[in-house]
Amino acid sequence: MDIIVCIKQVPDSYDISWDKNTGSLSRQSASAILNPIDKNTLEAAISLREEHGGFITAISMGPDQAEEVLREALGMGVDKAILLSDKVFAGADTLATSYALSCAIKKIHRFDMVICGKESYDGVTGHVGPQLAEFLDLPQLTNSTEISLKKNKVLVKQKIEDGYRLLEASLPVLITVEKHINQPRIPSMEDIMGAYREKTVDIWRGEDLNGNTEGFGLNGSPTKSKSVYVQKLEKGSAEILKGEPDVTAKRLVEILKENGFL
Amino acid sequence: MDFALSGESKMMVKAAKDFALKEIEPVTEKIEREDALPDDLLQKFAKARMLGMMVPREYGGIGSSALNVILVAEELAKTASAAVFVMALNNSIAETIHYWGSEDIRQRFIPSLCDGSNYASMAFTEPATGSDPTAITMTAKHEGDYFILNGTKRFITNGHKNGSGVFYAKDETGKVTAYMVEKNTDGYTWSKPWSLMGLAGQGLVDIFLKGVKVSQENILGEPGKGFHILLRWIAGERIQQMAFMTGMGQECLNQSLKFAKERMVRARPMTAMQGFQWMLAEMHASIEACRWWTYRVACMQDAGDDFQIDSAALKLFVVPTIQEVARKALQIHGSYGYCKDYKIERLYRTIAHAGITASSTELQKTIVGSALARSKDI
Repeated sequence: MDIIVCIKQVPDSYDISWDKNTGSLSRQSASAILNPIDKNTLEAAISLREEHGGFITAISMGPDQAEEVLREALGMGVDKAILLSDKVFAGADTLATSYALSCAIKKIHRFDMVICGKESYDGVTGHVGPQLAEFLDLPQLTNSTEISLKKNKVLVKQKIEDGYRLLEASLPVLITVEKHINQPRIPSMEDIMGAYREKTVDIWRGEDLNGNTEGFGLNGSPTKSKSVYVQKLEKGSAEILKGEPDVTAKRLVEILKENGFL
Repeated sequence: MDFALSGESKMMVKAAKDFALKEIEPVTEKIEREDALPDDLLQKFAKARMLGMMVPREYGGIGSSALNVILVAEELAKTASAAVFVMALNNSIAETIHYWGSEDIRQRFIPSLCDGSNYASMAFTEPATGSDPTAITMTAKHEGDYFILNGTKRFITNGHKNGSGVFYAKDETGKVTAYMVEKNTDGYTWSKPWSLMGLAGQGLVDIFLKGVKVSQENILGEPGKGFHILLRWIAGERIQQMAFMTGMGQECLNQSLKFAKERMVRARPMTAMQGFQWMLAEMHASIEACRWWTYRVACMQDAGDDFQIDSAALKLFVVPTIQEVARKALQIHGSYGYCKDYKIERLYRTIAHAGITASSTELQKTIVGSALARSKDI
């Protein structure tokens, strides 16, 4: 069971600054952490390996400092770590990110499963997993809260708006996971030392990927940030509707229609 | 001079924080109520490889540094729980045994302190003395292949729990020697634990040794040199203790910031008021000074430098400084700080211990002052 896990380093604070020219986050301005849900992603992969055997590769795209999250993944127990780090990747939206990751995964070639978190703490789009599945031509099982394997098929319990449903697919497959799928393990002090002293993080540049460089970074991003601003809150007026609930509810609907909200 | 912590150290701190939030913080109220630590805590520390961190792998440790141990201790200390002392003792005593012990003693006593099967104890204090070796009354008499130990020790952490202890006794020359003793052996009994102002579950007991047989192979270091062993251990333990104090001081500030940001006075949060900002600023500056000096002395220990005087000076500074931080934190909380519902109440009581345990602040003055008086450097 060869598994690839995609993880991301995200800012740890709301006290961040923006590049006003590109509308992108200035990642150097804030301390950074492993995207919280990616701990669950890593735990899911490691638990599957403990049950079925195999090899786990963790991949991340980011600046050099993103090596820290890959060290954390090595501390938790992944076998190999790869960092995609190059100026050509900078400013990528979710599509360009997914494309770069797919090029890296195709270079790895041998895998049964790709696991991603449902979304990242900073962007919160939930795009990369499904986009990556499309680039890799894989069935996608999203929002998973349970994962199990039987022979060459994977079964997940998918969280939907008003409940759950069971999905099944043949390998290889891409899975995105929900936060409450598991309780991530805490690396031991010895594992942490091993991650820094005995293991390496491979750095891959743009030229190392057999991809169209026009698809990387800001150039490959159809989504452009037009402007970044802080919405100023101003004092306004309020109308309080009084009366029985059914009467006030009807009046509320009328007001919303009058003002173009419905 | 690069003050940046390594990626490895930073990750250890992060893991310690997660461990504290998962394993210690949720049970602190239960520990306070029952005055007992969870039975499985030592195993959890062992699984996290937080015991015997400075001891080489061949003896069951992980070969890390004093700096990493105190970084972990500082983070765990934010729980203001005696749980941290369990981790600390199984680290400092394992390191002491490794430093002074023969290969035979290392092999016999260190691994079980690293794997979570045994609690370490350091037994010097007696009813009549906490720091004066000449006042020790426990005796060790050589009979055949054994030493026979008789006497009483006081305030011994986990003295009643399975494991090994370093016991200090006067041998037949009248000098203090350190002996490795398997606890709970024949002739070994103990009192019920002392009930303390803070540090619930610490497990401080009196130990009564009556005809306890200890193999003649169980001398730690050299005969008559026990006090040197104790002094070096205490110097290292002081660094850990100051890491606890720093961690608790930081938590005092964290709690105070949280309270002051939420508490409104005349439609403004307390943090908008200059008086409170000044208090918070003083707390922060104090904690930073304590932190970096503590790291500095830990680095001295790692470098193999003589750190005993520096660790005494460190304690002399850190204890009153963090106690003042705790006082300010209590003032910021007002009457709420006096309520057990607020963490500052436990922090304040726990911080109170450091000036009177593991040698008093007054003794640090004597250590540093007499060293300065002997110094030839001006």
